[in-house]
Amino acid sequence: MATEAITTQRRISDARQSSGLFGRVRHELQFVRGRGALEISVVLIVLLAGYTIAGLVSPEGFAFLNPNNLSGVVSQAVPVLAILGLAAGILMIAGEFDLSLGANITLSAIVFIKTAEGAGLWAAIAAAIVCGMVVALVNGLIVVYTRIPSFIATLGMSFFWMGAGIFLNGTTPATLTSSRDDLMVFLFAQDFGFFRSQLVWLLIIGVLAWFFVHRHRLGNHLFAVGGNPAAAEAISINPKRVKLMSFAIFGGLVGFASILIAVRTSSMQPGGSATEDFTLFAIAAAVVGGTSLMGGRGSVTGIVVGAALIELIRNGLLLAKAPGFYITLFVGVTIVIAAIFNKLMEGKAR
Amino acid sequence: MTALYSLQGVTKKYGPNTVLNDVSFEIGENEVVGLLGDNGAGKSTLVKIMSGVVQADAGEFTWGGSTIDRMSRETTERLGVETIFQDSALVPFMTITRNIFMGREITNRLGFMKMKQMDAITADVLDSVVTIEGIKSPKQLVASLSGGQAQAVAIARAVHFKRSLLILDEPTSALAVRATEALLAYLTQLKSEGVSSVLVTHNLHHAYQVCDRHIVMNHGRKILDVRREDTSVEELTAAVVEGAEGIRRYREGRH
Repeated sequence: MATEAITTQRRISDARQSSGLFGRVRHELQFVRGRGALEISVVLIVLLAGYTIAGLVSPEGFAFLNPNNLSGVVSQAVPVLAILGLAAGILMIAGEFDLSLGANITLSAIVFIKTAEGAGLWAAIAAAIVCGMVVALVNGLIVVYTRIPSFIATLGMSFFWMGAGIFLNGTTPATLTSSRDDLMVFLFAQDFGFFRSQLVWLLIIGVLAWFFVHRHRLGNHLFAVGGNPAAAEAISINPKRVKLMSFAIFGGLVGFASILIAVRTSSMQPGGSATEDFTLFAIAAAVVGGTSLMGGRGSVTGIVVGAALIELIRNGLLLAKAPGFYITLFVGVTIVIAAIFNKLMEGKAR
Repeated sequence: MTALYSLQGVTKKYGPNTVLNDVSFEIGENEVVGLLGDNGAGKSTLVKIMSGVVQADAGEFTWGGSTIDRMSRETTERLGVETIFQDSALVPFMTITRNIFMGREITNRLGFMKMKQMDAITADVLDSVVTIEGIKSPKQLVASLSGGQAQAVAIARAVHFKRSLLILDEPTSALAVRATEALLAYLTQLKSEGVSSVLVTHNLHHAYQVCDRHIVMNHGRKILDVRREDTSVEELTAAVVEGAEGIRRYREGRH
């Protein structure tokens, strides 16, 4: 027994004191491996390098480096998907899904547009975020208290929320007209040349999300509840409260993303299917970024990188003039490969 | 010996089934109590009630002589009861540090965790509290540990937070022989540090080795409550396997 204790002590302190930057980085990497973000980042960098080379070789044929394209992808498409991916990912870490994400976007965007037209920008921002949270919390309450699998409950509720959009605005699209002023555009859709407002929002939300998920006490509880609800409960963490909290965060982020979408497109069709793609793409971004479908695993960096990867693949296929169906085909394959990869990683971590 | 935790007349029904029927016993200070019984004897339900996760239909609970008004996980947490449920005490895809501080994180005023401080304490706890071989860093995922190592981490957590009563639900079922020996030795050591424990098991040899007292459950009733000096592995076996009848036959056979 005594000798075991000594070896243990030496091993642990060895690791702690490994000298030099290289040694420390290697020590850190050892424990970061298998948690998703690292591997997917390497894939993203390789893909970016490939696109850059292709763009340099053939600026006409593959216009990746064209400023319009860069600004459109990097700071418009990626931020929206990344924010939605973070929303879905945080919920997935807690072990739940919300398939009414697309319907929530539609409803929150309609609420945003109507409030902006009637009561001004600031009220509209608050209304959209509150709407997103209320929708998600209702879903969350159903899931938490009836113990119906969230897949089923939120799939059903997504039709309800789609209907709620029609109830609110009829079948005609809600449109931003006089309220779409310079300030609103500046805040949510300004093109500053090589970046847009959306990218700034992603940076802010990404940093906040990182500190919340990976450094805050409540973030730790998310992983605990998603990874092993029984263990969390035994240590007196309340799984219901944590799940409801994650639904609320999900809803807030979806409400916010709906503002970005509404301001960019200026209108929203109630009951439309335009936003439905976001539901699965957001989950896809989370999965590609290393979030487990079983809960308890995932990282903010991974999800943002995952969203970037999906949008880059989509963009590359567009630039290569691939037919539309190729895009969904490739994204589908990416998701399945990512899920298999995650599974392998979980095995490796054991 | 003063009673640390005492249960009087605990009854629990699930629908028409009476899972626990008027069960009463005490756990003394600095005492290791074995809670024995076959599958379906009511051990697990009793553990859940003792730890406050499940509420009893009837029964009184006292702690250190004063009555507990309302049993809940919050109450038992405050009193210092820590339960290590079989196979589910830890979260596999969290680091050892995060598991040890789960729900009791060291944070600043805004709730952000002090990771360095927590890692350092974890390294110390792993070095000093339990002797576990093969753990390289507090940042290792629990999923990468063996069953014995994980069990030891769960116990290290209970000890670090100075719990007063440790309830272990079948802790040895997933362990290798050596890890089991270490765990049992560890319970005895805990006793000298002022931590009582309840060992729930159906392995009578393990229980007999370390427990000061044995409580045998059978079909929701307590049928035996004896100090180690007054019993034997044979009697415990008879009680677990054949119930009250077994005890009577065993005692008659001896006289």
